[in-house]
Amino acid sequence: MSLFGGLEISASALTAERLRMDVVAENLANAQTTRGADGRPYRRKEVVLQERPGSFGASLSTAMNRGGGGVQAAAIVEDQTPLKRVYDPGHPDADAEGYVAMPNVDTVTEMVDLIGAQRAYEANVTAMQAAKQMFARTLELLR
Amino acid sequence: MLFDTTQLALERAIEGAGRRHEALAANLANANTPGYQRVDVEFHGALASAIGSREALDELSFAPTRDASAGAVRADGGTVDVDAESARLAANALEHQAAVQVAHARIGILKAAMGTGV
Repeated sequence: MSLFGGLEISASALTAERLRMDVVAENLANAQTTRGADGRPYRRKEVVLQERPGSFGASLSTAMNRGGGGVQAAAIVEDQTPLKRVYDPGHPDADAEGYVAMPNVDTVTEMVDLIGAQRAYEANVTAMQAAKQMFARTLELLR
Repeated sequence: MLFDTTQLALERAIEGAGRRHEALAANLANANTPGYQRVDVEFHGALASAIGSREALDELSFAPTRDASAGAVRADGGTVDVDAESARLAANALEHQAAVQVAHARIGILKAAMGTGV
């Protein structure tokens, strides 16, 4: 059913954008973490989004993937930019020179990412509402 | 035949708008996907050339196609402009509503003619 497909596509985007917000939250929470899961300083994580292969219109279009199946997270990758070196000799993780390797998390970048994900989420909610209204109106043909 | 080609054309317009909504929703879903090229369903032209012919209307298909004419709006090559996409989505929903209302009115006329009331 065509319009339910629209809802599904928007739902995939809501999932993806929410994941982005979750990762931003994780980055912010670990902005000062010098001992991550692997014992090394935490590295900023980033979601890589990918177009989901299209299923809608499959009966109409050729075998060629024309897209339109929504979005999915391809991977969560670690940002490989250098860690920040902060002089703090009293820190238990300080090296011989007194420097501590701090996570490469920039609070401003994270906040901008958060706003971007939030706005994208809202845009997709609007698309979902439009799909819902279109479906309801089509149903009115039966009245 | 109970329904004429105009009614059939309205039905196909409703279907086309539904398909186009999916394409536009997919564009919004991929607004942050690196290198994503927007898709669209160009159903107006096909519908206009099929109007009047029952066979042509029956054979219409609304497949999404990549919009190669859209310029990149992101550094990674993505061509989805969220504002333009939202505007298209709203316009498409109104078009869909218009087709549904006209179809509804025409069904009402038939009902009135059959004496079953509107």
